[in-house]
Amino acid sequence: MPANQQENERYSALGFMCGLEIHQRLATSEKLFCPCSTSIPSKDEKPIADVSRYQKAVAGELGAIDVSAEFEEQKNREFVYRVYKDNTCLVDLDEEPPHSPNREAVAHALSFAKAMNMHIVHEIQPMRKAVVDGSDPSAFQRTMLVALNGAIDVDGHRINIPSMFLEEESSGIESADANTAVYNTDRLGIPLIEIDTDPHIPNPRVAKLVALQIGTVLRISGAVQRGIGSIRQDVNMSIKDGARVEIKGVQELDLIDKFLDNEILRQQKLIEIRERLKKAEATVGVAKDVTHIFANTNIGIISNQLKKHGVAVAFSLRGFKGVLGTEVNPNKRLGTEISDYAKMAGVQGLIHSDEDMNKYGFSESELVSLRKELGVSANDSFILIAGGKSQAPVAANHAIWRAKYALVGVPKETRAANDNSYYTTKFMRPLPSGSRMYPETDARPILVTGEMVAKAEQSAPNLDNERKYLSSIVKNKALVEQLIMSPRLLFFKRTVQETGADPEFVANVIIQKLTELRRTGVEVEMILDDGIMAAFKAYNDGTITKQAIDELLKALAKRDEPVMEIIARERLERIKGKGLIKLVDEAMKESGGKGIDEARKIVMSRHRLVVDGSELNSILVGRMG
Amino acid sequence: MYSKEILDFFKKKGISIGDRVSISSRDMALEGEIMPKTEAGDRATIVIKLDSGYNTGIKFSEDMDIEKLASGKAEVSFPKAKVTQKKGLPKVTLIYTGGTIGSKVDYKSGGVYTLTKPEELLYEVPELSNIANIEIVPLFSIFSEDMSYLEWQKIAEKVAESLNSGSNGVVVTIGTDTMHYAASALSFMLPNLNAPVAVTGAQRSSDRGSSDAFMNLTCAVAAAARSDIAEVFVCMHASSSDDRCALIRGTRARKMHTSRRDAFKSINDTPIAFVDRAHKITYNNNYKRAGASDKKTDAKTSFEERVALVKIHPNSNPEIMEFYSSKGYKGIILEGTGLGHVAATTQHRQFNWLQHIRNATDKGIVVGMTSQCINGRVHSSVYSTARELSDAGVIYCDDMLPETAYVKLCWLLGNHRREEAARLLNRDLVGEMKKRSGYEEFEEDEYAGESAGK
Repeated sequence: MPANQQENERYSALGFMCGLEIHQRLATSEKLFCPCSTSIPSKDEKPIADVSRYQKAVAGELGAIDVSAEFEEQKNREFVYRVYKDNTCLVDLDEEPPHSPNREAVAHALSFAKAMNMHIVHEIQPMRKAVVDGSDPSAFQRTMLVALNGAIDVDGHRINIPSMFLEEESSGIESADANTAVYNTDRLGIPLIEIDTDPHIPNPRVAKLVALQIGTVLRISGAVQRGIGSIRQDVNMSIKDGARVEIKGVQELDLIDKFLDNEILRQQKLIEIRERLKKAEATVGVAKDVTHIFANTNIGIISNQLKKHGVAVAFSLRGFKGVLGTEVNPNKRLGTEISDYAKMAGVQGLIHSDEDMNKYGFSESELVSLRKELGVSANDSFILIAGGKSQAPVAANHAIWRAKYALVGVPKETRAANDNSYYTTKFMRPLPSGSRMYPETDARPILVTGEMVAKAEQSAPNLDNERKYLSSIVKNKALVEQLIMSPRLLFFKRTVQETGADPEFVANVIIQKLTELRRTGVEVEMILDDGIMAAFKAYNDGTITKQAIDELLKALAKRDEPVMEIIARERLERIKGKGLIKLVDEAMKESGGKGIDEARKIVMSRHRLVVDGSELNSILVGRMG
Repeated sequence: MYSKEILDFFKKKGISIGDRVSISSRDMALEGEIMPKTEAGDRATIVIKLDSGYNTGIKFSEDMDIEKLASGKAEVSFPKAKVTQKKGLPKVTLIYTGGTIGSKVDYKSGGVYTLTKPEELLYEVPELSNIANIEIVPLFSIFSEDMSYLEWQKIAEKVAESLNSGSNGVVVTIGTDTMHYAASALSFMLPNLNAPVAVTGAQRSSDRGSSDAFMNLTCAVAAAARSDIAEVFVCMHASSSDDRCALIRGTRARKMHTSRRDAFKSINDTPIAFVDRAHKITYNNNYKRAGASDKKTDAKTSFEERVALVKIHPNSNPEIMEFYSSKGYKGIILEGTGLGHVAATTQHRQFNWLQHIRNATDKGIVVGMTSQCINGRVHSSVYSTARELSDAGVIYCDDMLPETAYVKLCWLLGNHRREEAARLLNRDLVGEMKKRSGYEEFEEDEYAGESAGK
């Protein structure tokens, strides 16, 4: 059986379901619903104001409060929004109605829709999607369904793309604690497209390829932002008997399959745990205030809270012995999963009885009193939470909910990819239910005209055409593939166009040479595009040789300065024509008639960086005659 | 609204708005609920709500396929709040008149509609019942731009009635567009008020989690329940942040921004007090205190509707005075330039107001002068123009807001003879004007109170 087929059968036996949501920021000059700048301010720029807000879960269009919205509200947090002079306006701050949608962004979205072979909707309807984690000052994100029912082919699989959206970027989180979350509004409202696949990606490896291919198609359009955070992949997956989980924030495409394999493992472990708990007829008790037991405790994490007028809350878990400490993912136990829920209420964490009680410094009498209070024996388990008066009881309720769910199986969750050494994830919030959409009545629908569709078809980025074009100017097939996948593709095309330099050579330098230099410790990321462009110009007009490019790049990595100054200082100017003839004559004399090979050796050993090999050759060949 | 063709097509196919259908045209097949069409969209496109929650438009054609899968759900009603009456809390009457504070996005029409059931408001702000014993009086449900003195009269009567039947204070929810006119009118119509009357509203509708309605409402109820301010005041956000509300004297409040939540500013006066998120009241200015009294609250609601508010501007045509005069108007408030001026010395006769104003005062029309600068007071003796206007009988209204002067003159002419009304126009009755201009009353720093990088 071929390896791929084996792989597919293995995952299909697990009941593996997987779909992707790709979010990509567009490179428009203005935001989607206001004329704010889309360029992120420099690190030195100070916000001009902070605005503080509180949000509330409200009944949506269908009268029901969204589950995840309500969950966030329980945290009752203050949201602080940093306001930047050119990047934040009253629209961003929910102080002014939205302006008309940015036409450029709509055009880009339609052209991507065509690239994914989708049907563009006839009238685009702006919607509000409830968002209550505070990342949007309006408590909703404006979003529009742009196209439906497309498909792309990846690694021999037909991958359906049921929908594409054009929406607003959310704010970036700057800091967060139990009471306050601080958001930067600079990127808020930048146009973003979301491309969703259906849940039938056959395995984690193909999931990675799908993400890669969609990312590439978007990038070759030249209409998207680049850099950290400009593209994000959310991965949805489930296995048989498990539950749908959305993993957010996988930054590096190469890691998608690793995160997926770990999520499969986590769900399998949780299913195993459920069976163990069922067999043990496990139960979870109610939360009890046990502060009095710890009035004079030596346990630092409890006494610290009690000093601040906090409380200690505990509940019993019968039949959980050994289960709380069971690892469900590398370095994550069931106890960790429960703790992540408790932390949502703003507590530091929890203590569970599968941990080493000596580590915390429990006295024997404290343990005895606690067990007595909860009515459990030493064979049962407990969870203990210390925290603020209003936080600890809520945290205990979250923890109880999660502990009880261990008897049901895998909860539907949104999880954050937060650990790139183990590729594990962390609970963020319950998976939102569907009732969180309502029409954005402040913005008009966009009627899609035939002209708009025709333009989209014409401007749609096309991977095959791109490959054909690149193959026509670059012979090396591997290099063509590398170019297509490279974030530097557009720069490559621009360089070839503007300098007239040999495309193969330019591709070699941009794709391979820079990587080589990086490996030898040159800080290539310091080199500005303009510098590289100037170096190729100098090469193409004969000012320098091919070999000198390396030296130029090394110098540019150290300091950004005019290329011509580096050439003068480092004596990189090409010796050609009469100058080179003079060098050849001298070398011929010096070689004492040993022939042109010796003369070539002499010239190159002294002037390797400034002499063009083929010019030297033709002079030497002339001498022979 | 959908085009007639679409509505006929639906009728023919036995389909109503709200039904779940499968629908397909040449290049698209959808399944979902038929949404009503807002005035904003293309009338020849059918809007479908998909299961994902997204709405999307599909172009109508006579030959498209449509099949009804299920009938639409009945109109969704909001769960009603159980208003539990806690013992020992002060009683507050909440008079509800409509506006954004009671607005919802209507999923049927896609537009903003006004709540008709006040319980829906309590459902969304259940904490209200922890502050006071709330009695809800739905008076009407209209946009504030549609509100006239006929509604102000009803509100004033209802306020007096509530206070006379034992409420500690009253909250009036109202649309923000004309809130300051209404607050002014209530200030004059309730001359012997002995309890707090908070007028509040919202700049963002309460269907969104970021609405200012929640804090405005809780702060207003707290002020009505616990403060001893025996005045009508506007209670709205003090800044763009959800940190505190300002209680602004009803005759001094003005909407100074079309959309910000801190749109209402106290003009030529500082706010009476601030109420923070924890409902702590910090007093900030002099105010009339509620005292022990058995006297009933009077509602003196007579109102003269033939009063105009006229804005002066370069090239403005003074013949407007003759128009109002011919229509039997009793009073005109001018919103003059600068210290209170109109063109009076110009050589261009068609722009000279002086004679026209003289004609009006000669006919017995009360003419008052305010300033379109909004901030600051008018002055009748700095420039000769003003001296001449004053001589022509124009009454200079000190530091009174143009809108307040307008409402005041309507009320005065409704309740007094002409001479008495003219005499009282520039006498302080309920805090609408004062002699001294405090330095701190004109806020220069637009970011005051919002320190960056905290």
